[in-house]
Amino acid sequence: MRHRVLTWLIAAAAVAATAHSVSPTIGAQTPAPGRRPPDLQGVWRAWNLAKYDLEDHGAKPGVPAGRGFVVDPADGRIPYKPEALAKREKNYAGTKDPDPWKNSDPLVKCYLPGIPRMTYLGWPFQIIQAPDYVYFVYEWAHKKRMIPIDSKVPLPKDETAWMGMARGHYEGNSLVVNLTNFNSYTWFDMAGNYHSDALQVVERYTPINADTLQYEATMTDPKVFTRPWTIRMTIQRQKDVGVLDYECTAMLDELGIHHTWPRDFDEEN
Amino acid sequence: MRTRTRVLLSVAASVAMAAAMSIPMSGQAGAVGRPGGLVGADGEGVAAGPAGPIPRRPDGHPDLTGTFNGSPGGVTHTVILEEHPGGFGVLGGQTLIIDPPSGIIPYQPWALEERNRRREDANGYEDQVGHCEFYDIGRIHSFTQEYTFSGNTFIIHATQHITRIVPMDRREHLPSGIRLWLGDPIGHWEGDTMVVDSTNFNDKTRMSLGGDFHGADAHIVERFQMLDANTVKWTMTIDNPKAFTRPWTMTSPALMKRLKPTPDFDVEDTCHEGNVDLVHLKNTYEKAHGPGWPWKNVEHGR
Repeated sequence: MRHRVLTWLIAAAAVAATAHSVSPTIGAQTPAPGRRPPDLQGVWRAWNLAKYDLEDHGAKPGVPAGRGFVVDPADGRIPYKPEALAKREKNYAGTKDPDPWKNSDPLVKCYLPGIPRMTYLGWPFQIIQAPDYVYFVYEWAHKKRMIPIDSKVPLPKDETAWMGMARGHYEGNSLVVNLTNFNSYTWFDMAGNYHSDALQVVERYTPINADTLQYEATMTDPKVFTRPWTIRMTIQRQKDVGVLDYECTAMLDELGIHHTWPRDFDEEN
Repeated sequence: MRTRTRVLLSVAASVAMAAAMSIPMSGQAGAVGRPGGLVGADGEGVAAGPAGPIPRRPDGHPDLTGTFNGSPGGVTHTVILEEHPGGFGVLGGQTLIIDPPSGIIPYQPWALEERNRRREDANGYEDQVGHCEFYDIGRIHSFTQEYTFSGNTFIIHATQHITRIVPMDRREHLPSGIRLWLGDPIGHWEGDTMVVDSTNFNDKTRMSLGGDFHGADAHIVERFQMLDANTVKWTMTIDNPKAFTRPWTMTSPALMKRLKPTPDFDVEDTCHEGNVDLVHLKNTYEKAHGPGWPWKNVEHGR
């Protein structure tokens, strides 16, 4: 027991040390003359059916029927390889289990939803622009993304992250975020649409009027899809009280669900 | 491939267990140490260049933009806010309470009893931080923090996904029905000091692993005073007559010092995704209270 506690303490000290070494940067860099990034700042919310299913779909329990969001390919279908479709069906079948531990949707366990799913989960998020970074602050489980702008620092080759690793730049009137280094545990929606660790995502945030952003995300994953595919939707500005809080695991607590299940993907996969 | 699923919070919760085992409950009568001091730790982190005059924003107010840390190393003060002895791997620490002069939090009797109950090893499972939920705003004083501005908004970033968005153009707090983990902050300038006034708490957080809390009706005022280009003095004054006999004020273990900017920071803070320690806290909790003891029935404060 003592040995175990000491191990924890050493780990905690390491955490404290890490806190020093990973401090963020806000420089006083001035943008190049004539190049003015679009103003994306504010509180935004995508309030649509994408969280249920990115494709056209009929009604399902608790889910309204509706149009999908895939604009490329033109048929609105996610271009799965034939052998990859079975896993999507199995994923969806597993979403009907009321026990979070047995339910197949990682979101039911309050795991990080990944990108682009976080964008259209339905909770507000705030965009904060600084010269070197763009911050996305999400109401859902107080998650945050820090997107380095024009970073020259190479990404690690052998590490993955739930939300991917981001490199951002401005292109005309758009913020473009290139995401790589995903793990294979996140989904795209509640219909079981999924990806592998080969996923690459390009997000594009473009203001189309004072209160509306156009959001596009292009997914490339040769292990699962036959070709890249793109979703597009609008995101509306929220003008009431800003980003509040939604602690997903605290909701499990309130329901009397102990989230003490074993984790099956710690460190190695 | 290695997935960055780091378990930070539950590790910290485990420290609470160790602390609870080794630290006497009689902290209310301890000797008085140097306010804000820390015993047995050194190492400043990477300090930025020489301190110059206070940088100014176009409106003339101090430009707090930058990365700061007010802990000379170690996590001891997220364990106990008052003076406490070291032992069992926990650094001893002097009190962070600068008012009252005794360095002791002026709890009402019922609240002190509740604080001590929370401090017990067997009740560590109740600490929401072990569940990967929010740290209290009084509990991040030892974290590296980054300050920035966005228009008329002051923003405080810290590790563990913590972002506090502080509007400076609002006069009134949110309606009292909206209760928040970090409260509802409103900022304003008093001379060279950024003053952040927070209410609307939900009483689910703890101010330390040692069980300290401020209650839902707390009115908390923080002051971020820039002393020179590289130094910020942070204090937090907590008032809640339901829980305390008088307002009290704490500060960080050391003055907040500017850190040298690092070239890149997009490390993903995960916690719940790899929280394999929570089950141990639950087991300890159920051993003490029985398997029928439901977590959800625990009263948080009063």
